[in-house]
Amino acid sequence: MIRLQNVTKVYDGSVLAVKDVGLDISKGEFVFLVGPSGSGKSTLLRLMMREERPSAGDIWIAGKHASKLPNWKVPHLRRSIGTVFQDFKLLPNKTVFENVAFALEVTGRARHVVDAQVPQVLKLVGLSAKSDRYPKQLSGGEQQRVSIARAFVSRPLIVLADEPTGNLDPGTSVGIMRILDRINRTGTTVVMATHDHAIVDAMRRRVVQLERGRMVRDQSRGVYQRTDEQPAAPPAATAPTPPPEPAGESPVSPDEPDPQPPPDADGGASNGDGRDDGGDR
Amino acid sequence: MRIQYVVAESFRNMGRNALVVLGAILAVFISLSLTFGTLVFGEIARINTAQWSDDVRVEAFISDNMRDIQGLQATIAGWDEVADVFFLSKAEAFEVALELFEDDPASLELIREDPSIIPASFRIRPVELDSYDTIAARLAGTPGITDVISAGDTVNRFIAVRDALRFVFWILALALGVAAIALIANTIHMAIYARREEIEIMKLVGASNWFVRTPFLLEGMLEGFLGGLLAVGTAAVLYNLTLDRLTDLPEFITLDVGGAFVARWGAVVVLFGIAVGAIGSAISLAVHRYIRT
Repeated sequence: MIRLQNVTKVYDGSVLAVKDVGLDISKGEFVFLVGPSGSGKSTLLRLMMREERPSAGDIWIAGKHASKLPNWKVPHLRRSIGTVFQDFKLLPNKTVFENVAFALEVTGRARHVVDAQVPQVLKLVGLSAKSDRYPKQLSGGEQQRVSIARAFVSRPLIVLADEPTGNLDPGTSVGIMRILDRINRTGTTVVMATHDHAIVDAMRRRVVQLERGRMVRDQSRGVYQRTDEQPAAPPAATAPTPPPEPAGESPVSPDEPDPQPPPDADGGASNGDGRDDGGDR
Repeated sequence: MRIQYVVAESFRNMGRNALVVLGAILAVFISLSLTFGTLVFGEIARINTAQWSDDVRVEAFISDNMRDIQGLQATIAGWDEVADVFFLSKAEAFEVALELFEDDPASLELIREDPSIIPASFRIRPVELDSYDTIAARLAGTPGITDVISAGDTVNRFIAVRDALRFVFWILALALGVAAIALIANTIHMAIYARREEIEIMKLVGASNWFVRTPFLLEGMLEGFLGGLLAVGTAAVLYNLTLDRLTDLPEFITLDVGGAFVARWGAVVVLFGIAVGAIGSAISLAVHRYIRT
């Protein structure tokens, strides 16, 4: 469903955002992208939604060669991708219903499709009763559920979520995750970037860890922190990663043997080649 | 529904930025008023000086009894003051007259009834434009010539003024046209900025490019259209008022260019306004980062 091959993204010719990432995500998988701020999670998501093109490497999304796709074909690709963001991106002058309907209307779906699909997806996210409210009349968690409804209303193959719980308290976040999980169970591939340890640890899904643009771990049924570090240093986890040395060579590879055996249990899709990027730059 | 949405969007924005939109429309209006004014003025000048184009300043009508026209032509062409002599046969003169009296049905009927009343003539280009007097005097005494008319100083001055004014007007219209394009581009820029969140979401959910862009293009064209309409309307009203007031003109000068001319070129000017609007918004769309993929 999503395939990245040796993907590198350099901004403005010098800022290295993603370095040599290879990733294979099958249909119906649920993948967490974890790592400190600036590690490249968002860039990776932007590459997947074809907001950006890679500086090198290839990307296939939903059967399309996204990195080679001409601009005019991008809208069509986007229709198979739902996107959710930390800041919701709702239109303040539209009601809940209208915000969700907007995604269908602007892609030319007929009125009767809108009238059928929107209530259905609002029910899925538990907002049927509030379809006439405006975003500012809703709590953060409710707003995020509207945005998920908008992302899912066209039944995309893939949902990409960039820190969807980043602005929410833990209790609310659980509700959001429950919805994303429900969406995942319909066969939709979900990729979610997050900082939230509790969520990742509780869900036990495939975890892809990035550090300074490199993929340092790809583990099925993973947790947020590397298993070998976890008992030792839980406080270090809250502080977003002690600043790495500027030399920038193979950030953390020597110290953990654990993630080396690539995931095999669930999707069976990951090829685990994120590890071999150690030395070359 | 999509078309409806696209059209509604363009109107919605024009309401939102009413003042800026008004500025753009006024710029189009002024620019196109000048353009249209220049066209009308040029037409008035053309009608009144049509006879005197190509530097012809003297016209000598030839008696119907004249046999040796070629000989006569050669004689006149041999005069020192004369640069060129063109012969206009009766048939050709008839065609010219039809055109000249296009908007004068009474005269038109008269010449249609009896085309032979229109004489053949020599159209004479002097070496010095001002020497028409000498030529006219010599022609008056030449056998075979029934009548002589010459352009006179008024025509010379009229033509000089016409050329100068035309130049200034076109430069002004061009400069203002560029300003109008820039102002329309600006309104579209503001419209895009005001809707950047909406555009971002449209792009995220996969709205096609034309769907995102068309409202802005339409808005620009609509502003150009309104400016053009205003220009033509105002010019037409002013022109008609002038026609009504200025009745004591010398008889040989006509200000009336005819309704057909106003309608035809009015339409062209309005179309031009739409084009100005389209160019303005296209520029804005091309450079705007929210719109580009």
